[in-house]
Amino acid sequence: MVVVMKERASDTEVEAVIAQLVELGMDVHRSTGASRIVLGVVGGGKVDPRLIELMAGVHEVVRITQPYKLASRTFQAEDTIITIGDLRIGGDEVIVIAGPCSAESEAQVHATAAAVKRAGAKVLRGGAFKPRSSPYSFQGMGEPGLQLLREGSNAHDLKLVTEVMDANQIEVIGKYADIYQVGARNMQNFTLLRELGQHTRKPVMLKRGIRTFETFTRNTLDLSAIPIVKELSHLPVFVDPSHGMGRRDKVAPMARAAVAAGADGLIIEVHNDPDRALSDGAQSMFPAQFDRLMAELRIIAPAIGRSICLEPVARRGWAR
Amino acid sequence: MAPELSLDQLREEIDKIDEVIVRLLDSRARCAYTVGRLKHQLGRAIYEPAREAAVIAHVRQVNEALGGPLDGDAVARLYERIMDEARRIQRLEAERDAKKNQENNEEQITKNEI
Repeated sequence: MVVVMKERASDTEVEAVIAQLVELGMDVHRSTGASRIVLGVVGGGKVDPRLIELMAGVHEVVRITQPYKLASRTFQAEDTIITIGDLRIGGDEVIVIAGPCSAESEAQVHATAAAVKRAGAKVLRGGAFKPRSSPYSFQGMGEPGLQLLREGSNAHDLKLVTEVMDANQIEVIGKYADIYQVGARNMQNFTLLRELGQHTRKPVMLKRGIRTFETFTRNTLDLSAIPIVKELSHLPVFVDPSHGMGRRDKVAPMARAAVAAGADGLIIEVHNDPDRALSDGAQSMFPAQFDRLMAELRIIAPAIGRSICLEPVARRGWAR
Repeated sequence: MAPELSLDQLREEIDKIDEVIVRLLDSRARCAYTVGRLKHQLGRAIYEPAREAAVIAHVRQVNEALGGPLDGDAVARLYERIMDEARRIQRLEAERDAKKNQENNEEQITKNEI
């Protein structure tokens, strides 16, 4: 349920409504907007919306019928901007996350991090625990891999996102990563999702993947989900054209389409030497391909009123 | 652009196009800025007439294929202005640099004197 306060509601009136809701056993999330205050209300308590609507300063009470409450547009009309240090996700700038499927060696992580940073990526991706379909496939490096990824992202001033597969990895990943990623395979692993919600305040990137009768591509990249999710939720939407297509030559066109369709960011697999990658080599871009894609995206984004990974300008003289 | 649009609709379209042009000019200026830094590191001059001639030839060629109302000379004139501004960005940054170096040198001299 969302309680929309009147434009000129006083602090006392707002506080009285919050106090009443808390007393009824609800959690209240207060958002102060440009003109009015909106209170998001969730929890197990029983509240009669009509009684809240009668309180002083209340403009309207809206019930949220979707099963997701905090993430819904009804709860919060404005886009959420996630801030990690100097990085802003969900604003005007389209953010690109890039890196290898998995951390394999110090040289590979550093070479790839340097390449994606140069092209304009702001966040490094890379796995240390790999959910592979086969137990005989490379399973990831574990904590040493996380260490390499953290060193690689620090060395090139990138943030780090990595996948969490099991609740027992939450703590160790939290020591290294800035963002948790939950893979499509784990999106029904409610134990993991609940544990993440309870044990971290870091952003969590949730993946959705679909398959269709199309067999040419690895999965099906559903671009129609972008405008739909952006309407239903205020949270930033990212697109992963690498896993959607599964072939590196098809990644760039879908990445361009995703930006044009309004994605807030992209997550793309890039490897310094894809032919020798231990996992997902076929869908990992060569650094030169990624450079070219970024240059194309920098031209597409302005057409829809956005920017993408602009060259930073520090007016301090060339020498810095 | 569709010919049956009203004056207001056309002006709205022009405003939208301008928003994109300014964003692209911003991207171009940022590239020129970085080009200036690289030139500085490589010890190359800010003004490189051969490169400017190549840029004009390139945009003339792109424009030629479009067959619109802007002729090659018109595009060349617009690009002369764009490159004037790019050179200016590079010159201002080089001046900031020179000033900083001078300050550093003076500081060094003062330290040496002490």
